[in-house]
Amino acid sequence: MKTDDLIRALAADTVRPRPLQATLMLGLIPSLTIAVAAVWLALGFRADLATSLVTPVSAIRILLTAVLGVAAMRIALVLATPEGRDTARLWPLAVVGAAAIGLLAWAYVTTPVDARQMATVGKTITVCLVAIPLLSILPVATLLYTLRQGATTAPARAGFVAGLAGSGLSAAIYALHCTEDSPLFYVTWYGLAIMGVTLVSTLIGSRVLRW
Amino acid sequence: MAEHMDAWGQLLMAANAGDARAYARFLQTVSPVLRGVVRAKGASLGEAACEDVVQEVLLAIHLKRHTWRPDAPVRPWIYAITRYKVVDAFRTRGRKIDLPIEDFADILAAEAGPDPTEAADMAKMIGMLDGRAAEIVRKIGLEGASVAETGQALTMSEGAVRVALHRAFKTLAILRERHVK
Repeated sequence: MKTDDLIRALAADTVRPRPLQATLMLGLIPSLTIAVAAVWLALGFRADLATSLVTPVSAIRILLTAVLGVAAMRIALVLATPEGRDTARLWPLAVVGAAAIGLLAWAYVTTPVDARQMATVGKTITVCLVAIPLLSILPVATLLYTLRQGATTAPARAGFVAGLAGSGLSAAIYALHCTEDSPLFYVTWYGLAIMGVTLVSTLIGSRVLRW
Repeated sequence: MAEHMDAWGQLLMAANAGDARAYARFLQTVSPVLRGVVRAKGASLGEAACEDVVQEVLLAIHLKRHTWRPDAPVRPWIYAITRYKVVDAFRTRGRKIDLPIEDFADILAAEAGPDPTEAADMAKMIGMLDGRAAEIVRKIGLEGASVAETGQALTMSEGAVRVALHRAFKTLAILRERHVK
């Protein structure tokens, strides 16, 4: 086939795929709604939710995870373009990570020595480590799907960012239930859950995001 | 019109607004540059194989054209797709090449010339499509039929032809990947 013939056929194809932002939102809004409903129905919101939202040490947990999720989502949309490999900046993610570690250090210092272990272990590690990855499935799948409709030239990095975005948002939603307000608990265990999801998403991304 | 909008950007903008003629012109303008890049890196593959790679890149540009944002310059977008696809195409042909984006500006465009090269891969893959899809691609591409004429010949509505054509290109890209693995 001559290239001009191919061009003639290509030009006749006027079906335009949906813009990526629209694809992402069409998937993410229902995914997050389902996550909120799942937390509400299966686990229940914490009884003192309203108070916790205005208590800085508790609210910052939602803020950090949500900022992580939204920042990673925006980076994912940049990485979804072919030139994103050269233009995407990952440093906002490092800033969130550094803030979380700073918070952990602050909590370590301000928590009395004999209370540290109890604060870190808490009472709900298992629920936390199971719920956050489960809640992440749909949001991460949405992000990977969107990236697949896109044209990333950095598949592993795109999978990594998709994992952080989906699990960050899911952790923020899980926090509506969780009553563990010590950064020693939530930075450690939310962090571990987010890292686990992100690792899996990176591995999946490096395989399925090639085109 | 934004300052960075060069001729490519204007054509692609018009194309994305539904101007099929501008889109054809866009692809025709871009092809010699792609051909120049591919030949500069793979002259020893032979002209026909180079043209295969050019066509692969064109198909990729086509299927991913919604990833171009009108506020971004077109060239870095095209170059990034080209680099990704050319490196990939050479890897599947058993070669590892290095293709820095900075080199693109120095590469001379290569026109197809009066007797354009016949590439083999695309025709082979079109043969692997289902009968009707293959016929639609051939009628429009090789015979130069319009979507309306193709619809009449195959007793399909124009809309159905358009959808089938779009699916055919997506399938071709998938076949390409499988064929390669």
